[in-house]
Amino acid sequence: MTSPTTIPIHLTINGHDHSLEVEPRVTLLDALRDRLDLTGTKKGCDQGQCGACTVHVDGERVLACLTLAAQVEGRSITTIEGLAEADGTLHAVQAAFLEQDAFQCGYCTPGQIMSAVACIREGHAGSDDEIREYMAGNLCRCGAYPHIVAAVRQAALEVQS
Amino acid sequence: MTIHDLRTRHGDASDGSADQVGGRLSRVDGPAKITGAAKYAVEQQLEGLAHAVLVESTVPAGKVRAIDTAAAEGAPGVLLVLTPDTIPPLKTASDWFGTPPPDVPYCPLARDIAFSGQHVAAVVAESFEQAVAAAALVKVSYDEAPAVADLSDPKAGDGIAIDMMTKEWGEAEAAFAAAPVRICAAYNTPREYQAPMEPHGLIAAWQGDRLTVWEPSQWLDGMARTYAEWFAIPFENVRLVSPYIGGGFGSKALALSHGAVAASAAKMLGRPVRLVMSRPQTFTGYGGRAATRQTVTLGADRDGKIQSIVHRGVNETSMGGMWVEPLGSVTSVMYATPNFSSKQNVVRVNSVVPGAMRAPGENPSAFGIESAIDELAYEVGIDPLEIRLRNYAEQDPHARKAWSTRQLREAFVAGAEAFGWARRSPAPRSMRDGNQLIGWGVAAGTYPVRRAYGEALVRILADGTVEVESSSIDMGQGTYTILAQTAAETLGVPADNVVVKLGDSRFARAGVTGGSRLAGIMTGAVHKAAGAALDHLVGLAISDPRSPFHALQANTLVVAGGRVSSPRGDGPEVSIAELLASVGADQIEAKGDTMPANSTAEDRYKAYTTIATPLTHTDGDYSRHSWCAHFIEVRVDEDFGTVRVSRVVSALDSGRLYNPKLAESQWKGGIIMGIGQALLEEGIVDRRHGRIVNNNLADYLVPTNADIPDIQTISVGIPDPHSSALGGKGVGELAIVGVAPAIANAVFHATGKRVRDLPITLEKLI
Repeated sequence: MTSPTTIPIHLTINGHDHSLEVEPRVTLLDALRDRLDLTGTKKGCDQGQCGACTVHVDGERVLACLTLAAQVEGRSITTIEGLAEADGTLHAVQAAFLEQDAFQCGYCTPGQIMSAVACIREGHAGSDDEIREYMAGNLCRCGAYPHIVAAVRQAALEVQS
Repeated sequence: MTIHDLRTRHGDASDGSADQVGGRLSRVDGPAKITGAAKYAVEQQLEGLAHAVLVESTVPAGKVRAIDTAAAEGAPGVLLVLTPDTIPPLKTASDWFGTPPPDVPYCPLARDIAFSGQHVAAVVAESFEQAVAAAALVKVSYDEAPAVADLSDPKAGDGIAIDMMTKEWGEAEAAFAAAPVRICAAYNTPREYQAPMEPHGLIAAWQGDRLTVWEPSQWLDGMARTYAEWFAIPFENVRLVSPYIGGGFGSKALALSHGAVAASAAKMLGRPVRLVMSRPQTFTGYGGRAATRQTVTLGADRDGKIQSIVHRGVNETSMGGMWVEPLGSVTSVMYATPNFSSKQNVVRVNSVVPGAMRAPGENPSAFGIESAIDELAYEVGIDPLEIRLRNYAEQDPHARKAWSTRQLREAFVAGAEAFGWARRSPAPRSMRDGNQLIGWGVAAGTYPVRRAYGEALVRILADGTVEVESSSIDMGQGTYTILAQTAAETLGVPADNVVVKLGDSRFARAGVTGGSRLAGIMTGAVHKAAGAALDHLVGLAISDPRSPFHALQANTLVVAGGRVSSPRGDGPEVSIAELLASVGADQIEAKGDTMPANSTAEDRYKAYTTIATPLTHTDGDYSRHSWCAHFIEVRVDEDFGTVRVSRVVSALDSGRLYNPKLAESQWKGGIIMGIGQALLEEGIVDRRHGRIVNNNLADYLVPTNADIPDIQTISVGIPDPHSSALGGKGVGELAIVGVAPAIANAVFHATGKRVRDLPITLEKLI
């Protein structure tokens, strides 16, 4: 669908190239969820307050609801769907979330996991208090926080070893 | 898609019992949730989907004078602008008791405004962005009327007496007047919000006179009934689909006006329509916990024995709706007292009608009585734990019936031991760590065992795998997992071979998921259905001439690990698939339900689509409740008054746990929501405009990871055969009850300041 108000953009998501024709105001979150059927990235508040939409752009955690799709053209985007190996082997953080029961309803979980992967990569998983602080931008209303801390702690040890 | 087709090894590899009821099996829906494969209701990708956005009233009371839709209608991509004048009238639906509705039209968009944030118009466009932009162009003018902003508004008055909430025995007022020790205080809780991470919303699609609704739902059958009644179509013509629910906490049990708007728009356009509330709209699109006021009066002996409790409560409700938050519920059962009186009023304010939020009633009720008994403990100089034991209720003091099970004494003992309560220094302000005042508080909680009915279908397929179907739901409690364990244990197959399908109203029926009733009901129904399927399987194996067991002349057979054999050890051992193939059966199917045997179709419809036929928790010879005791440490900065919860030990009696791993998660979640209630959460009303000003997740503060310490939970429950088929009581609602008073009591111990208005914020301490 082309119109005078849309622009062509090219996104690289989970290693795959996608071409889209969207209005410049379309967020990365809505592009993922409504245009590309990548609904693993969740919309909790649409105003940068809850962290449910956390994805990686060039390896750093970013809120997809506060990022326009057009802003990330040419950059490498990773979503929850792209975290496991191609053969389905789970990322250490995903496996730890399952083992530690670090979620209940599951709605904040993709954002928590993307944040956790980045948190470990940033070197911010050195202690439980540090994990709590650097995971504080991802709200979980079911209250899985102690188990999220346990999962990040466990995954950090596995990733580093 | 409700099938979790990602198979991984679940549970602790060393734990061979994970497949059984009571085992620590990891969530079977977990792999779908951690990979992003789990599709929540509004994430269905449908051809021709249109997007609706609501327009809300900006005044709290009055009438809509006019709505100017011209600019919105001319905006790019707009398909439809709905107003009270253009949306077709619907039929009024019955309430959740099934009360026949008045024969008047129902308009889900309001002309008469009763609260700020009421839906007055909606815009439907080709894209979400176009709908958002056009909704901002709708101009609404009002004839504003005076409003009652909240409970503290001078215009609010004393409200309406709710006589059915009155509970009285003995001579409470006289006994209080005669008591040597008297405590009287007022305890207030503010508006609080469920704030599930997944906002409310739906996709509605019509095919002729059949409506499909993908909507997060705690009650598929009840919501389907409402949609059917609104649109005057048969119940069977409505299909609700809700495979995963991103949190509910009481807020997703009813079909609400935004659903009627979306379904109306879909009908008018002949296209599927998606409508999702913005996060700010979720603060007024449905009700949170009502603000409450309680006065608790205790008369006691000098040794702390309670002689009288006089309790008065008030909660807010809306101008047009009625919500009663039962404030005397814990007050009347927690402690033995010869004299008791509890009464309650409700006050109408210009707010959306409040609703159910985690332990409605019990939660604020416990804040009152569990704070008051702590005040009594200091007044008479008795340890707060000891005074609770001195007043221990050996039977239900209100119903005058034996407890089915009450492991509260065990909870106090186990919690105190793990917490180290004996090392507590009794005097306020007597424990500190540098600049931090340390306080230790205790409080108890309870929640009744709510029971109702459910159905399940169990199907053994030709390849030996097992399907379980139910229109009940999993919003994170672990329904998928515990029903897989129940079917696996009953049938003697590995849990990995069981696929549980939930969240589709075409499946076997279930009532509302609320009040912690689902697990007890549905494990019972699945146990029954799976037992019937097993009987059928074994019957075939014994009696069918083609069966390899036919010649054995056995009375019964054993199924274990998915293999069938003779209990005597003679004869063959074959897989279920091999057995079914030998007798030429494609599948075996059995339905089980927990309804009385002579129930009619009408009884069943009523049981699953209304809340009119529950079994009360005091039915028969017993009073059935779950119980808990919370031990909490706080650290209060002496200069700044900031409160941090630094340690929590909770001992809980939920009866038998179907899956301790998942139950512990739910308990901790309740405790964490209780920490938010105690320290952070408060809907703030702007009196000038009768409006919630902190209607977002940055200003309405829910706990973050950094607010929460490690939490220890201890199960002290024992199987309770009077509460459910498999011995469980309730899990989800229980653990929040008593957390806020435990924290308030700890804050008093730390600071010597008694805070009776939640939340406990720093300005109340400095």
